[in-house]
Amino acid sequence: MADAKLQSSETVSIARTFRGRVTLQGLLVQLRAFIALILLLTFFTIVSEPFTKESNQIILAKQVAINAILGIGMTFVILTGGIDLSVGSIVGLTGMIAGGLINEGLVLEPLNKVVYFNVWMVGLISILVGMFVGLINGILITRFNVAPFIATLGTLYMARGFSLLRNNGATFPNLIGKPELHNTGFPKLGAGTFLGLPYSIWIMIGLGLLAIFITKKTPFGRQVYAIGGNRRAAELSGVRVKTITLLTYVISGFCAAVVGLIVTSQLVASHPSTGETWELNAIAAVVLGGTSLAGGRGTILGTIVGAFVIGVLRNGMILEGLSSFWQMVITGFVIILAVIIDQVQQQLQERKR
Amino acid sequence: MLHKKFSRLLVLVMALAMVAALVPTTTLALAQESKGLIVIITPAHDNPFFKAEADSAQAAAEALGYETLVLIHDDDPALQDQHFDLAIAQGAKAIIVDNAGADASIAAVQKAKDAGIPTFLIDREINATGIAAAQIISNNYQGAVLGAEEFVRLMGEEGKYVELTGKESDTNAHIRSQGYHDVLDQYPDLVMVAQQTANWSQTEAFEVMETIIQAHPDIKGVISGNDTMAMGAMAALQAAGMTDVIVVGFDGSQDVLDAIKEGKIHATVLQPVAQFGPLAVEMAHKYITTGELPAEEKISIDCILITPENVNDYFNFAPVK
Repeated sequence: MADAKLQSSETVSIARTFRGRVTLQGLLVQLRAFIALILLLTFFTIVSEPFTKESNQIILAKQVAINAILGIGMTFVILTGGIDLSVGSIVGLTGMIAGGLINEGLVLEPLNKVVYFNVWMVGLISILVGMFVGLINGILITRFNVAPFIATLGTLYMARGFSLLRNNGATFPNLIGKPELHNTGFPKLGAGTFLGLPYSIWIMIGLGLLAIFITKKTPFGRQVYAIGGNRRAAELSGVRVKTITLLTYVISGFCAAVVGLIVTSQLVASHPSTGETWELNAIAAVVLGGTSLAGGRGTILGTIVGAFVIGVLRNGMILEGLSSFWQMVITGFVIILAVIIDQVQQQLQERKR
Repeated sequence: MLHKKFSRLLVLVMALAMVAALVPTTTLALAQESKGLIVIITPAHDNPFFKAEADSAQAAAEALGYETLVLIHDDDPALQDQHFDLAIAQGAKAIIVDNAGADASIAAVQKAKDAGIPTFLIDREINATGIAAAQIISNNYQGAVLGAEEFVRLMGEEGKYVELTGKESDTNAHIRSQGYHDVLDQYPDLVMVAQQTANWSQTEAFEVMETIIQAHPDIKGVISGNDTMAMGAMAALQAAGMTDVIVVGFDGSQDVLDAIKEGKIHATVLQPVAQFGPLAVEMAHKYITTGELPAEEKISIDCILITPENVNDYFNFAPVK
């Protein structure tokens, strides 16, 4: 929510691009995720006393962080006009990899040796596994021309399968490590705080700022937008479309792996089915944040705000004791609403031209 | 012109959003003089077992003057962990939970304990002791033995049968299967031709059963780790015209009791789930008011065999009065 100032100044500049002047309607539409967030915050602050507690705000942000980090990676992919359905499975797989490395170590059968890594190495290896799945997605899509939806649907199943296979469907419990193996400290990632905020919130802020910088200030970022905007034109103007597209899936895999580590650490156990359907939450956050599924249009900040909209909505509804069935109905309604507004915005933009 | 039209649309849309958000909240009870909050967390209510469990706990807590928050974790430990955070942040007096995984729930229960909030586990255990205030579970082993003995009797001590087992990660799946086999394996003429997990799920059980029927059209009985899977298996058997196959379930859910009345399912083992919640609430209340915890952490409640003879004595997991 500290992003408020950033958001408004940024969106004003976007709204100006409507023929160089700020129109109220343009601003309202551009800011829709943000306005929805303000409305929801105001609403729940009025109706729900427990919602306003500081402790609740912190856990709210902590829960949003999971979806927001997935959403950040997903935004890169969607900006190129792709989609990544495998992120939920990558969350589960990287969690199982980390859990296995801590509890069982790496078994080198021919040498009859078991290697235990310290938690930093465990984290690094898990992240590399996540990026590797992303790399496979990217290769399937760019080298074998498999449609992103199909390629990542395939890896969704495969990664989930491997995640279940890793320990035969069972959980790796009690991931506290052993002092004699020098691999203690893993739960800190999930339980630790800095300046009163859990690490996951800081990771969200850090990755968010980094991603905003990448999308706004680097050639890579501009090329991502260019590919989504007009793939052929981007190709003709010398953008290495395949490489850039491939990299976006690696980024998405990276973000999913980070989430896998955070969740595993929070539970102090890795559960093979963790992350099921989380890809859909991440896509919802991206879409709510104003990123077009057709690619080329959207912002990282929008995605984070979108994740907050979903998080606030859910937290508030839970606190108000709303049945989980109603929660699903309302969440779906809000997502559809966001897309309708998106369509209205595009029509508005087109008529102005 | 366009602007006007558009702003109207925008206002309409926003009004709709506000209404949508407002409507359901009117069902909320206004917070009156309350003794504090009890958070009740269970798996999804689409299984009537968990609905009955949550409802009975909620009713008992509200009768004692507590506020309640009923949450579901969809068997997802990460979601359950978020619910624990929420309970802690809201300063709950106690948490009553039917947990999402014997290993994956330990950290959450520990976290609540560290925050001074007692957790009362119902229905499912966790693989740790000394963390939860109490673990109230039905005697799954005793129930499984009851169910298996009835299954043996119905089968006439012989024939091919199929076992559907529950979720691998759930302790109860193993205990029940163990209980079944401790009885069934004593009869050499009872042959298990397939043993498959259907993850407690009705649709999965339907699919698994359909496939098994293809391979073994001559089966005589199905023994299932829970009632939802028994319902799924029954549907597949009915669809295949195999109406004389013996089906035995576990849980005692109302739809299976109804199926027993119709003769489609032959027996089930009723878990006294309607007792779990109230008992947990009673213990929580005692702890909140006197600081006393139950002497034993693990409390097991015996199950009851349901057959066509006594099926009318129970409704929604509770004895009919």
